[in-house]
Amino acid sequence: MSFAFRLMFRDIRSGDLLTLLLALVISVSTVTSIGLFVDRLQLSFEKESANLLAADRLIRSDDVISPEWEQKAKELSLQTAQRTSFTTMMFADNSLQLSQLSAVTDSYPLRGAYLIDDKLFGTGRRSVETPKQGEVWISSRLASLLNVKLGDQVEVGDQPLTVTQFLVRDPGSSASAFAISPRAVMNMADLAATNVIIPGSRVRYSLLLAGDRASLDEYEDWITPQLNESQRWRTPTQRGERIGDTIGRAESFLLLAGTLAVVMSGVAMALASSRFVKRHLMQVAILKTLGATPKQLGRLFFLQLFLLFVAGAAIGLGIGWGIQEIIASLLSGLMSTALPEPSIGRLWLGVATGFISMVAFCLPLMSHLIKISPLSVLQPNAKIEFNSFAIYAIGFVGMFGLMCLYTNGFLLPSIMTVAILGIALLVGAIGWLAFKLGRSLTSGATSGWQIGLASLYRRLVPNLFQLLVFTLIIMLTLILTGVRSNLIADWQQQLPEDAPNHYLFNVQANQIDPINAQTSKLGVKASAWYPMVRGRVTEVNNESVQSLYPEERNEPELYERELNLTWSDTLGEGNELVEGDFSAPGLSVEQEAAKEANLSLGDELTINIGGNLVTLPITSIRTVDWGSMQPNFYLILPKSALEDYPANFVSSMFISDREAQSFYRAMAQYPTVSILNVGDILRQIQAIIGQLSKAIQLVLFCILSAGALVLLASVRSTLQERLEEGALLRVLGARAALVRQALLVEFGALGFFAGLIAAIGAETCLFGLQVFVFNTEASFHPLLWLLGPAIGVLVITTIGVFASRTVLKVPPMLLLRGL
Amino acid sequence: MDRNTAIKVSNLTHTVTSNTGDLTILKGINMEIKESESVAIVGSSGSGKSTLLGLLAGLDVNTSGDIFLYDQEFSNQSEEERALARGQYVGFVFQSFHLLPSLQAIENVMLPAELKGDKEARKKAEVLLDKVGLSHRLTHYPNQLSGGEQQRVAIARAFASNPKVLFADEPTGNLDEENGKLIIKLLFDLNQSQGTTLVMVTHDNELAKMCDRQLVMSAGQLTEKAL
Repeated sequence: MSFAFRLMFRDIRSGDLLTLLLALVISVSTVTSIGLFVDRLQLSFEKESANLLAADRLIRSDDVISPEWEQKAKELSLQTAQRTSFTTMMFADNSLQLSQLSAVTDSYPLRGAYLIDDKLFGTGRRSVETPKQGEVWISSRLASLLNVKLGDQVEVGDQPLTVTQFLVRDPGSSASAFAISPRAVMNMADLAATNVIIPGSRVRYSLLLAGDRASLDEYEDWITPQLNESQRWRTPTQRGERIGDTIGRAESFLLLAGTLAVVMSGVAMALASSRFVKRHLMQVAILKTLGATPKQLGRLFFLQLFLLFVAGAAIGLGIGWGIQEIIASLLSGLMSTALPEPSIGRLWLGVATGFISMVAFCLPLMSHLIKISPLSVLQPNAKIEFNSFAIYAIGFVGMFGLMCLYTNGFLLPSIMTVAILGIALLVGAIGWLAFKLGRSLTSGATSGWQIGLASLYRRLVPNLFQLLVFTLIIMLTLILTGVRSNLIADWQQQLPEDAPNHYLFNVQANQIDPINAQTSKLGVKASAWYPMVRGRVTEVNNESVQSLYPEERNEPELYERELNLTWSDTLGEGNELVEGDFSAPGLSVEQEAAKEANLSLGDELTINIGGNLVTLPITSIRTVDWGSMQPNFYLILPKSALEDYPANFVSSMFISDREAQSFYRAMAQYPTVSILNVGDILRQIQAIIGQLSKAIQLVLFCILSAGALVLLASVRSTLQERLEEGALLRVLGARAALVRQALLVEFGALGFFAGLIAAIGAETCLFGLQVFVFNTEASFHPLLWLLGPAIGVLVITTIGVFASRTVLKVPPMLLLRGL
Repeated sequence: MDRNTAIKVSNLTHTVTSNTGDLTILKGINMEIKESESVAIVGSSGSGKSTLLGLLAGLDVNTSGDIFLYDQEFSNQSEEERALARGQYVGFVFQSFHLLPSLQAIENVMLPAELKGDKEARKKAEVLLDKVGLSHRLTHYPNQLSGGEQQRVAIARAFASNPKVLFADEPTGNLDEENGKLIIKLLFDLNQSQGTTLVMVTHDNELAKMCDRQLVMSAGQLTEKAL
C-alpha cells in the first residue's frame, strides 16, 4: 500500500499521472457543473412555470375530487390546495354580471402569488394570501361592470361577500388565459353557502400539489392509473403548452449537450490513459525484471487508479460546484427570478462519471499494461499487444452507459450514437481524402507547408479523430447560432415591441366606431376588425365528419370543435396565399389545417352555422403567422355566405402599461365587450426564452472546454513523436520558425477542414430544422461558412500550438539523448 | 544439479513466429555456469545472444529444453513464479540503462528492495550509490545525469537485491571509452566483493577477455571459446 502511494506520488511529480488526474478532474467537474446547473435551470423553469399552474402539479377534473386523493398527497408530505372554478352570475345593488369565479382553500396558491390592488385598474402588488371567509377579490373590469368599490357587498348565489381587493392577476389564471369573462376569487369556506353548484353545473375542480420531486413522482405513479377521461394530470413542463414545449425542448437540448460533454471528457480520459500506458510500458517491463510479479503490479495499478479516482472525484466535485456557483452568480442579473439551490443528490452524476470513465477508459488499457513481457527491456521497440476491439467495445459501453445515465433513457443516446457514427464515417471519408490530397500535392521537407501537410496524413488516425471531435463541436456551435436566431427571432425579433397584447371580443358592429374613437384618442392603433360567426364543419365532400372519423378518432382540429368563422375581402396581416384565388367565392383554409385534414383546392366543406348548412368549395389555401398576435382564422368565408348572420367583432391592439388604466376605464363603458390581456404571458415566454438562450450558450462553452481538453490530450498523446521529429529537424538544421510553421500548417489545416465540414453539416441540419421543425422558410446562412473555418483555425491552432510548444522549447540534444 | 552450479541449460531451443514464418533463434544449446563465475556471451548482431540472456533470466519462456537457475526450473514456471525467482536471484544491467525517468537516482536504486517490502531500502540504496561514487547525486533524475552516471545508478540498482546472478546486456554499449572502463571496473569489483555470478552479453573483446569464460553464439549455436 505505502509502496503504491510512493510510486503514485513519484508519478504525479513526473506529470504523467497528473495528465490523467487532470482529465478526470475536468471530466467530473464538467459533468458536475453542467449537471448541477441544468438541475438549477430545470428547477427554475419548473418554478416559473409552476407560477402559471399555481402549483408544482395539478389534477384537473370535471367531477368532485375524491378526499382520498388529497389524503394520499398529505401522506407523502406534499402541500395541497383546492380550487373550484365555475361561471356564475354576480349581483351588486342594481347590476348583475356573468363572471368567472374561483373558490380557493386558504393554502392557495402553492406557487406564485396574486397581484392585487386597492385602486381600480392599479398595477398590483404581490400577495400570497387568499381572500378570507366572507371576502371576495374581483377584477377591476368586473368592479366597473358591477359598479362597486372596495367595501361594497356583492352576492354570489345565496352568499353575500365583501369586496376587499381588486384582482390584477390570479397565479393560476394564465393556464386558462383565454377565459374571457371578468374574474373573481373567493374563499372555499363560503362556497357551500352560495348554493350555486348544483348537479349538472359546469364546474372545474382542481387539486393542487407542491413538494419535492420524488414525492411528486411517487404521487404521479399512484394517481395516473386512477384518472378517468375527464381528469388530467398536469405538470408545468407538459407537452401541448407553449411554454412547456419550449422548456421541454431546452431540457432535451441541455441534456444532449451535457451528454456530448461527457463523451468529450471520456475521450480525453481515454487519450490520457493511452499516453500513460505508452509511457509506462517500459516502466512495467523494468519492474518485472526487478522481480515485480503480475499480481503485485495488478494490485499496484488498481490501487493507484482507485486513489486517482478518489482524488479526481473529490477535486472535480469541488471545482464543478464552484463553477456552477460562479455561472449562476454571473447570470443572476439576467435571470428574472433567483435560481433555486441545486440538489446535492445530483452530485452522484459526477461521481458516477468519474468511476465509469476510470473503468471504461483506464482499466482496460491498464490491464494490458500489466501483461507486457519483461523481455521488452531487451527489445526496445517491443510494443504492447492490444485487443483494440475489446478496448473500444468497453469504452463504447462505458460511454453509452454514461449517456443513458445522463439522459435517463436509451432513446437519446441511441440516436446520438447513430448520428455520431454517421458523421464519423462521413468525416472520416472526407478527411482521409483531404489529407491524402494534401500529402500528394506536397513532397519534401523544405517548407512548413510540406512538413505540416505531410504530418496530417502520417498521423492519419489521431488526426481524423481530432477532425471528428472538432467537426462535431463546431457544427453544434454553428447549428446553435442558427437555431438561436430562429428560436429567439420567432419571439423577440419578429414580435415587435408594439405587437398587440390585448384582444377585444364580443364587440357589436355599432360599437366599433365609438371604440375606435376612444382608442385613437388614447393614441392606440387597433388592427383590423374581423366579424366572427361560430360554425362547425359537418361534411366533407358530402360525407359526414362522423362517418369519416368514427368515435372521433384522430379527428383533425378543423372538425373537432366549433370554429370562429370570418369573412374578409383582403388577406389579413400575417396571412400569405399559397394556392388558389383568395377573391374567388369559396373557402380559404389555413395551410396546416388543410394538410392535417387532407384537404385540397376544390374539396367541398359543409358548415353548420346557427342551424343552417352552408356548402362551399375550397378556393384558396393560405399560411398564417400565428405568432403575429393578430386575430387569425382557420376558415375565411366569402362575405355573401356570412353577412346575414349576427356577428361579433374581434380586434387586437397594443396597450402600453402607461395607457392600460385609461384604456380599461374607457372600456368600462362597454360592459359586454370582453378584453383579454396576453401581455403577461408574452412577457413570461420572453423571459424564459431569454434564460434558455443564456443557458444554451453556457453549455456550449462547457462542451468547447471539453473539446479543447480532447485536443490537448490528443496532442499530448502524440507529443513524444512530435518532440523527436522536431528535434531531428532542428538537429538537421531546420530553424525553429520552420518547425513552428509546420505546426501551424498542421493544426490550421485540421481546423479549416473541421470548420468547413461543420459548416456543410450545420447548413444541412439547419435546413432540416427550419423546414421540418420550425416550419419556417429555409434560408442560406453565409455567416456559418465564414464562422466555421474561422473558429476551427483559430481554436485548434491556438490549442494545438500551445500543447506542443515544448517541441520548440526543448533543446534538441536533450531529446536525442533520450531517443 | 551440482551444488556449485548457478545455471544449467540442456537442449534449449527457441522458436519465434514472425510474419515470414517460424524462425528458430536458438538451436539445442547446452551449457553450465558455476557460482561466482563470470561468463561473456559474444557473437555477431542477431545471433541470438540477447534472446539467450532473456531466457536465462526467466524474462521469456523457451520453446523446448530445460533451464535451471539454482533450484528454479523456468521452463515449467508461470510468469508469477518467474517474477518471484527474478526478485530473489537476479540482477540486471542494460545497454540503455532503463532507469525509471520519473524516479530520482535513489528511488531507482530502492525499487528492488521496496518490491520485496524491505524497510531498509533507502539506507541500502544510499550505501550502494556511495559505492558507485554517486552519493552527491541521490536526488537527481535520470535526465539530469550523464550516460556514465546513469549506468552507475543502474549497477547500484542491480546489486540492491543482493542477486546471486547478475545479467548484463552490453553494459558499455552506450558509453564512451573512459566511462566504459569505469563501469567495467565497478561491475567486476562488486561482482567479486558480493560473490555474484556474472553473465554478460557484449561486443567488446576487451571486456569479454576480462571474464572467466567466453561463449560464442553463432547461428543459434553456442560454443566455448578457448582462452
